[in-house]
Amino acid sequence: MFLQLAAAPALLASDAPPAYKVVSHYPAAKSTETPGPYRGTVARIHSEGVIDTGSEQIDQPTIDKMLSAGMKALTGAKADKEAWASFFSSSDVIGIKVNCSGAPVIRASPEVVSGIVRSLVSVGVKPDNIYIYERFLDQLTSVHYERFVPAGVQIVAVETPRASLLGYDPKTYVECSFFGEDDTRSNLARLVTERFTKIINVPNAKEHQASGVTGCLKNLAYGDFSNVARSHMREKTNTLSFIGTLAAVEPLRSKCVLNIMDGIRGVWHGGPFSEDKKYRFYPKLLMFGTDPVAIDRLLLDLIEDKRKAEGAPSLWDRSPNIIDRRAHLDFHKNTFIREPGHIEYAAKNFGLGEYDKNKMKVTSLEI
Amino acid sequence: MLAALLLPSLLTAGAEPPAGAVKLNEPRVQYRNNEASATRSPWIDANGWHIQRSPGQTFVYQVKGEAAALAAAEAFTYGSGAFISADAAGADAFGKMLTFIKALPAVDLPPVADFGVVDDGSDATGELLNLLTRMNLLYRIEKNPDPRFHVNVRLGTKEFPPEDAKNPSVAAHKIRSLIGDDNRSLRVYGSEVVIGRLMAGSGKARVFLINYTPRPVLGLRVRIRGAYSKGELQASGLPDARLADLGQDGPATEFTLPELHIFAVIDLSHN
Repeated sequence: MFLQLAAAPALLASDAPPAYKVVSHYPAAKSTETPGPYRGTVARIHSEGVIDTGSEQIDQPTIDKMLSAGMKALTGAKADKEAWASFFSSSDVIGIKVNCSGAPVIRASPEVVSGIVRSLVSVGVKPDNIYIYERFLDQLTSVHYERFVPAGVQIVAVETPRASLLGYDPKTYVECSFFGEDDTRSNLARLVTERFTKIINVPNAKEHQASGVTGCLKNLAYGDFSNVARSHMREKTNTLSFIGTLAAVEPLRSKCVLNIMDGIRGVWHGGPFSEDKKYRFYPKLLMFGTDPVAIDRLLLDLIEDKRKAEGAPSLWDRSPNIIDRRAHLDFHKNTFIREPGHIEYAAKNFGLGEYDKNKMKVTSLEI
Repeated sequence: MLAALLLPSLLTAGAEPPAGAVKLNEPRVQYRNNEASATRSPWIDANGWHIQRSPGQTFVYQVKGEAAALAAAEAFTYGSGAFISADAAGADAFGKMLTFIKALPAVDLPPVADFGVVDDGSDATGELLNLLTRMNLLYRIEKNPDPRFHVNVRLGTKEFPPEDAKNPSVAAHKIRSLIGDDNRSLRVYGSEVVIGRLMAGSGKARVFLINYTPRPVLGLRVRIRGAYSKGELQASGLPDARLADLGQDGPATEFTLPELHIFAVIDLSHN
């Protein structure tokens, strides 16, 4: 058993993290441990024609071209099969971690997930061994992935019904007390510890009222562990340190071998949900990488630039006058002090990837 | 033999409770989402603290429906032969719970406490006991501090000054911090609406778990200080229930209840 008292040093003295106790029986797999073989590398694929913003219709052939270009740019492979086979084989059981918290409109696009599934099948993965998964059943089923993927692909929620711990591994958890709550544990999904051999992480491009943005790291962390909302019960949250702490827990860290950020649509305020259409926008891009920090670093710029263009306060603005717990859909305000620093924190304290843009290799392609 | 000595009783329709019987609250959970609170935790109306505070007292519940079963479980857990006045549905629910309780193996173990509380009889101390019970912090009520405990609580002292008496929640969290979660004899994970009680001695332990909501709790994880290799689960409404994932974790034993309806009793032993 690996018992780690992860009282990692804080970036700022005033942000001293709580004492985390990390309990896991799983060792790291050095060959796949995040940030994986392409540290600091991101393939950024844009297509103006990927979505008709009036009808919200996504063009599947364009998505397929973007997936092809992104995977080849990331891996250097000449052919699609070669690119996918560098990560996956017929013996794998693969979890596709979608994000459906902004559903029904803002979610891992079924067209993107469909393209990923077809690519996996093309390298010999059996549909029965492909799982599309999310924590909450109601969010997951609202998307209807079953209409886009071959028969046999499993579409499962971890927490069915909500608040049930049965889908979580009782022996793999992070324990800490944020504010004196009774239940101090967050357990990792059993699917991750017991079923999957590999995970593909498919987050959206969204602002998040507590963590600043929600991208690769947060989709992994808060999408695979129980009892995580307790980190943002108050305006000063614990998202800065909690997200990286969770994302670094084995075997999650070693099993997540690929991140494909779905930035066809995005949310620039009020996230992670998408209650108000006026805060949606259309970056029309996909980002590929094994390094979640590098992709999330680019996401920060994407959301920050959009907010600046809309006249909204910066993600980094911590001034008390913008905090209003009842005004989450007023873009001049926010319900929490955002913690966009969680990405750099994860890089510095857990080595989850490259945060320095000067050290990143970003390949931008237009389809 | 607890089961034989301290069974709750049903008051027949129209019967008056014994003179001097103290009425207890209907055991339940109240969700107060629109009210500010320190934790957003649901509010549990539980009476364990009250029963422990007045062990010789006669108590009566006036409840309807399934609450009668919950009341019976609560009274039994804290060793009260309380009277339960209920409607027809409640009488049925009570009867089923009483059958369950009577079928439990008899044990005679002392309650476990991690600290002492000196009871001055005040409302503030009563509210503190209430909060401690709801937080699954195991205490023993004392007349004077017990030197066997690392922590003894008396409101109004230097350690727990009068301002703590005005806000028992602060005192409760201070007590929790003084004990340390790792040193607590009972921990419950996966629900904020389950209250437990622990009896232990001579290599055996009995855990009582009460779910104060009408909804089942799924996957409740429990941690008990002490090494136990065997656990037998008796769960009301779930005759085939078995513990899952029982194992040692350092100085403690952990196990999972796949499902908890109203009441469960777990007997732990070394063999």
